[in-house]
Amino acid sequence: MEIDAVKLGFSLVGIILLLFLPPYLDGIARRVRARLQYRRGPPLSQTWYDLQKLFALPSVRPTASTLFTWAPYLALASSISAALLLPYGNVIPVNFGFNLVVFFYVVVMVSVFLILAGLSVQNAFSHIGSSREMQIVLTVEPLIAILYGVLAYNAGSLSISEIVRNLHPTPSVLLTYAILAYALYVESGFVPFDVAEAEQEVIGGPLGEYSGRLLGVFYYAIYIKRFALLWFFVSLLTLPWLGPIDTAVKAALVLALQFLLTIAFYPIIAALEATNARLRVDHIVKMNVRMFFAGLVVLAMAFMGW
Amino acid sequence: MVRTNDLEAHFGFECRACENGHCNKASLETILGEREGLEEFYEAFKEHIRECKRMTYGQYMFIIDREVLPEAVLWWHNHPKFKETHLSTAVGTDERPLDGKFVYMPFLSVQVEPLNMDRNYWMFLKAYMPADDPSFPSVAARLPAALWIEREVKDLLGFRPVDHPDPRRLILPEDWPEGVYPLRKDMDYKHSPVTEPKTEYRETPEGTSLVPMGPVHAGVEEPAHFRLFVKGEEIIDVDYRGFYSHRGIEKTGEGRLTYNQVLFLAERICGICGYQHSVSYAMAVERLADVEIPDRARYIRTLMLELERIHNHLLWVGIAAHLVGYDTGFMHAWRIREPVMWLVERLTGNRKQYGMNIVGGVRRDLLDYRKEEVLNVVKRIREETKTFLDIALNTNTFIKRAEGVGILPYKVAKAYSVLGPTARASGRRIDARLDQATKTAMAYNEVDFKVPVYKEGDVLARVLVRMDELFESIWIVEQLIDGMPGGDIFTPIGKLPEYEEALGFTEAHRGEVVHYVMTGEKNKVYRWKVRAPTYNNLPAIPEMLKGYHVADAPLIIASIDPCYSCTERVQFVDVKTGRVRILTEAEFNELSIENRGVF
Repeated sequence: MEIDAVKLGFSLVGIILLLFLPPYLDGIARRVRARLQYRRGPPLSQTWYDLQKLFALPSVRPTASTLFTWAPYLALASSISAALLLPYGNVIPVNFGFNLVVFFYVVVMVSVFLILAGLSVQNAFSHIGSSREMQIVLTVEPLIAILYGVLAYNAGSLSISEIVRNLHPTPSVLLTYAILAYALYVESGFVPFDVAEAEQEVIGGPLGEYSGRLLGVFYYAIYIKRFALLWFFVSLLTLPWLGPIDTAVKAALVLALQFLLTIAFYPIIAALEATNARLRVDHIVKMNVRMFFAGLVVLAMAFMGW
Repeated sequence: MVRTNDLEAHFGFECRACENGHCNKASLETILGEREGLEEFYEAFKEHIRECKRMTYGQYMFIIDREVLPEAVLWWHNHPKFKETHLSTAVGTDERPLDGKFVYMPFLSVQVEPLNMDRNYWMFLKAYMPADDPSFPSVAARLPAALWIEREVKDLLGFRPVDHPDPRRLILPEDWPEGVYPLRKDMDYKHSPVTEPKTEYRETPEGTSLVPMGPVHAGVEEPAHFRLFVKGEEIIDVDYRGFYSHRGIEKTGEGRLTYNQVLFLAERICGICGYQHSVSYAMAVERLADVEIPDRARYIRTLMLELERIHNHLLWVGIAAHLVGYDTGFMHAWRIREPVMWLVERLTGNRKQYGMNIVGGVRRDLLDYRKEEVLNVVKRIREETKTFLDIALNTNTFIKRAEGVGILPYKVAKAYSVLGPTARASGRRIDARLDQATKTAMAYNEVDFKVPVYKEGDVLARVLVRMDELFESIWIVEQLIDGMPGGDIFTPIGKLPEYEEALGFTEAHRGEVVHYVMTGEKNKVYRWKVRAPTYNNLPAIPEMLKGYHVADAPLIIASIDPCYSCTERVQFVDVKTGRVRILTEAEFNELSIENRGVF
């Protein structure tokens, strides 16, 4: 029974992290960006305050479509389930075989609901935003699928818990890390890849018609999705090389390491955001296609045992 | 050579060439011989020329028959030798109280030799129209630069441009009643008829869908309505509807205010290039009064103009960075700009709308111990801008967005008479600071500077032109401080001559600003016409947008540095009552408490 208590404890910590940390991470990014831009910047909890305010406000519904109302909640559910499939210490709250495939799908679902939400209203800017999001998803997801394939082939499993345990250090895995960093950055929609929600061009894109609580839920879903992608990357980066994690103390240390690395990555992301202009969607598509072919090469390398 | 006397015999006109004290009895021959091209034009249009005169130094007027207006305008505009000549704008005047006629008068900046202010001149082509039939043949179909100009006189004065390709309303709203023309002298300035709302948009072309950028859009800071017709993300065609903030400033200025009051109104036309407007207006009145202003005043004016240019270019580059999501560039450009604002506050007492100018000179002297401060500030700006440009121009994503986007070819730029940095980025060598005789009001003839010209015509070229200009401006400021003469700062203006005309102009950071002034009785202004550079640049925007992405639209629009309030010379009016009313802060707070939860 003791094992279960530990497992429960780690799962609980994971749930608390995935629910409360993402807005703070955004707070860190805002602070870092502000400093690079010669500003003071808001307090770390500012994103939370924003969300609280949005949650308290009623939403204007410009359409009778129920999808419009449900999309944010479905997106939130998807991103929470994505985060639940990740290892916290040595515990994965929802663990089963093939969960890498499920992780891939639920992350895409956030984008899909965003696209559907944008198409459920009569607004040219929402439609443009949705079509941009779609173009990005359609070009970056095959790349991610290939990279996941390399990882799964290398570890011989499609389960995230197995992958982080059995990954071998080969050149192809190292290259996969590099390309995966790019792909997950694109998928997270940071500048210069934030074309779908670009304020100055399409006034928020699919989010343009959203307000109040529904907007807040959408933002929250996006923050959690970003957190999940980063946490996944950090886990891949650390867990395979730390040896077997069999005691609760070691697991706690690993969890602390994951946590610190996640926080440490955010200023880097913020710096990248601050020092770049937004790309155009055709630039992004071109870059993704190039990366896709690089991914194919890496896959071929993996098959050859490199 | 036909002499004035011969002409008098033929047409019964008198040559009022030069009553301005420079040469009282200039014969026709003298006038025509003064500048290159005048005689050639005279020979070509001899039968239709009714009168010719020199309005003031470097400004000539031919009174011609309205039938030949298009040919005359095109003759100048397409003159093979004067390549950089452009149609500046046109003035419509209701002269019925004077002689029972309407006047339509396009004028061009004739460039005999680019950047030589002693050889170039302004050419006014004045045509009288009878009061019962104010129509003139349109030139817009052949010269797109005239598109807006002719629609404007149609709206405001009820002239009829015959065969205009796009005779929709331009300045007045579509629900303004027919037959009410604000700039006619018989209309009271307080009259404000309101009818049912109505719109008059162009049809969406087949196979495209509409993306309405505006009337309010995050990427366009003022009310402007670009209707983008797109296929996917590609822009196929564009319709523009603006003038949502038309204030009727010209009407306010005419007849109600004295010439010095108009000056302060002129400064408030624009939020950031106000001094350019005030200097242009002052220059026009000084030309009319025929006074020479003290050197020190000219230097101080030039100094302020250049400081204004420096901070405006920095403002613009910040906004351009913001529009492509490069907020770090935006914040730093504005940080670098701020010391200039502090400096001008020290020099004039205000950050903007300096209130520094007056007809005949300036109101405040530049204290000697401030000179060092000016030099320190511009030195710092130069260094910081260099660093900024190093970083911004090495930001790959920023360059990717600006390079090869929004290309405006030289020919299109010329056809639309595009001005300022936008024109110079398309290879046009024009700059009103040197092109025309600014020396009566400013000191540009006494400083040395280069006019940067780029050939690419894309957004990046517009960024580079502006940044090069900024460094030139800093260099000009240093020379001005170095060579600042002593003496008075103000010459009193006596009585103004009645019903005389003159033009004042400066090169604002967006292009050439012109103020046309016709004096009335008792030192008042009979007709005051303002033309901000955006008025010429904006009609060319659709040409720049076609074929590019919706994503590029905000940047391309911003790349001409549009200023809608300048262009629209725009008072806030309560639509329901037609009265001007401003909420006090207490009232505003009360309203927001009353309506809590609604917003």
